[in-house]
Parts: sequence; C-alpha cells; structure tokens
Amino acid sequence: MATTLDLHTHSEASEDSRAPVEAYLNWIRLRHAERPLDGIVLTEHRQFNRDADYRHLEDKFGVMVLRASEVETNYGHVLVYGVNEDMLRRFDFANIRLDAQELIDEVVKMGGLAVPCHPGRPNIGLYEHYEKRPPLENVVAVEVLNGGSRKGEDERSAELVRRYGYSAVGGSDSHLVSLIGLCATRFAGAIRSVDDLVRELKSGDYEPVDFRPRRKPVPHAEAVQTR
Amino acid sequence: MALNYDPNLIGRVFETTDAVEVKAERIQSFCETLGETNPLYADGKVAPPAYAVTFRNGRHFFQHVPRFGRAGFDAGKDVEFVRSIHAGDKITLSSHVKEIYEKTGRTGTMVFVVVRSTLSNQDGQEVAHIDHRFMSRT
Repeated sequence: MATTLDLHTHSEASEDSRAPVEAYLNWIRLRHAERPLDGIVLTEHRQFNRDADYRHLEDKFGVMVLRASEVETNYGHVLVYGVNEDMLRRFDFANIRLDAQELIDEVVKMGGLAVPCHPGRPNIGLYEHYEKRPPLENVVAVEVLNGGSRKGEDERSAELVRRYGYSAVGGSDSHLVSLIGLCATRFAGAIRSVDDLVRELKSGDYEPVDFRPRRKPVPHAEAVQTR
Repeated sequence: MALNYDPNLIGRVFETTDAVEVKAERIQSFCETLGETNPLYADGKVAPPAYAVTFRNGRHFFQHVPRFGRAGFDAGKDVEFVRSIHAGDKITLSSHVKEIYEKTGRTGTMVFVVVRSTLSNQDGQEVAHIDHRFMSRT
C-alpha cells in the first residue's frame, strides 16, 4: 500500500512557525482532495521534540504524525529521520556548525537517515557548497521539491539528483497552516512508524509529488530530471 | 565559532519598572486609534488585549544584552495574554533575556536575542508576556 507523507514541516515548536499541529491536521482533512496526504513528519529546527505525543490528534483526524528534526551543518540544512537517544547524545542539534559528513555517517550507524533539504537554496543548500568543496559521501536522498523554494531552487536541486544519482524526496517546509502538503513524497510501501519511514527512505522506492497550485505536477524524480 | 556571552545572563531579571496606573481615558483613546468599537473595551473599563504592548521598559534593552556582529533589527514580538487589564490596574513590567540562539538562512548567519517582559498587576498576577525578538548578522 502506497503512503504519501509531507516529510518537511514546522509546527509552533519551531521559533519561526506559528502553526499548531492540530490546525495542520484539520487543514489536511479539509483539503484532502487537493493534497492527499496520509501523514506529516514534523522537522522542528535544531531540536527534537522527544516528549510530544500526537496520538490523540492522529486518532481525531486520521492523519499520521511522525517526528524528525532539521539541523544545520557546514553543508547546509539536513533533515534527520529516525532520531533516537544515541543521536541526541552524539550531536548537539542546536549547534549550527555540525559537520555534515560526520552527521550523515553517524546517523546511519545509529539507525536513521540524514537527508539534505532544499539543496538548491543559497547559503544553506548543498548546491552552493558543492561549488566550493568536495561532494559529501553516502548521501542517499535529497529534497528536490520544497514548498518554500524560490525560482530556480528546485531546478538546482534536480541538477544535483541528475549529477550524483541521489534519490529525490519532497516536503512543504511549511511554517504556516495553509502551506502544509504543498510538496510531499509518495512511497511505494506502507509506512506506519518512523522505523518504517527510515526503511523506505533507504529503499529508494519513492518519488516527490508536487501539489502546488498553478504549476505542472512533477509525478516522479525522472520528470524532474528531464525538465 | 560559538557565541560568546555570559550564560548567567539568561533568565536574570535586569529591570522592573515602577507601576503605571491604567486610566480609562487611555483605554478609550487606544480603542479610538485602532477603530475598536466593541463596547466591552470602548467604554474604557477593560483594555483590549493589544493594549498590553503599550507598556515600555524604562531603559533601552541593549544596555543589558550583548550585541552580536553588525547592527540588526526588530524581528517581531510574540504576546501571550494571560488575563484582562482593567482601568485602575497598576501594571509593572519586568524583563529578562529569555534566549539567545543562532540560525542560518538564505542570507547568512543570524543571532537572535529574545527579551521577555512580564506584565503584572497590583495583586502580583501576571497579565501578559511579551517576547521581543532582535536579530543581528554576524
């Protein structure tokens, strides 16, 4: 059974978002025809909200809520999936100068996966850093569709996918309720937990999906590459 | 390079103002300025929530908080309304540095200093919290 998730979202737990999780889920329920999501992944900035419990909201709205984190490194921002106590002990998520290669390698060893996000974005994306330094090793996937991208950013991300053979994911990067689910990732397999998510991300069997209005849909990574 | 500041600064109240009495005329004037016509507020007995932001610290924040890098700007305010302010209340405001953090964005590295001001009435009850956020570029 396929699963569609918005892999990059920020709730009011992030300092620059005012979006309550409940409002996100209500919006998804109301807009399900336009943005058919099965769930969202909260990726709060520079933190992992380990004590948050959204089970009652999942039951109320029928939408899955998983938790991850967006951290900042010397190669830009990176989404960390499968966050656990080992990772939290190993890395200070609030540190904006994390070593990207170390993070990518260690997170995999600890059972998770690190995915560089908005790689085409100036200053905080891989693309610009790759112009100055060697490419990172062991990158499995990057975020090719980002709901907050400006003109040219997604295209630069797609170029990285083409050049380095990364798998491609999508996420809204929403900080406002109405922006949830603008971009997402459609997985071939069933996902019911963070462990499932990490497993599926490693499998490569998924595609970014674009639910942004007034733009041509991008059904899968191949379409991004040929644009 | 990590930020250089005294960690004891965080949470330490650096200022508590003298009490300011809330006048009905000031509430009415505030309502007129904003076009607020709700009789609950317009008659001046109860202040609309936004009135909380009219209270000021006695001194400039930056006499008490560190400066980082180049000059920055006001990056916004978060206001938490706890209870209503009434005409006749005497409001004091105390401030502390709540948080200092860094982040990176499209335009580079930024440092944020968050100053929290707590408004209390004459009975010591908190009526509002205002988080003033200032951003500097490093």
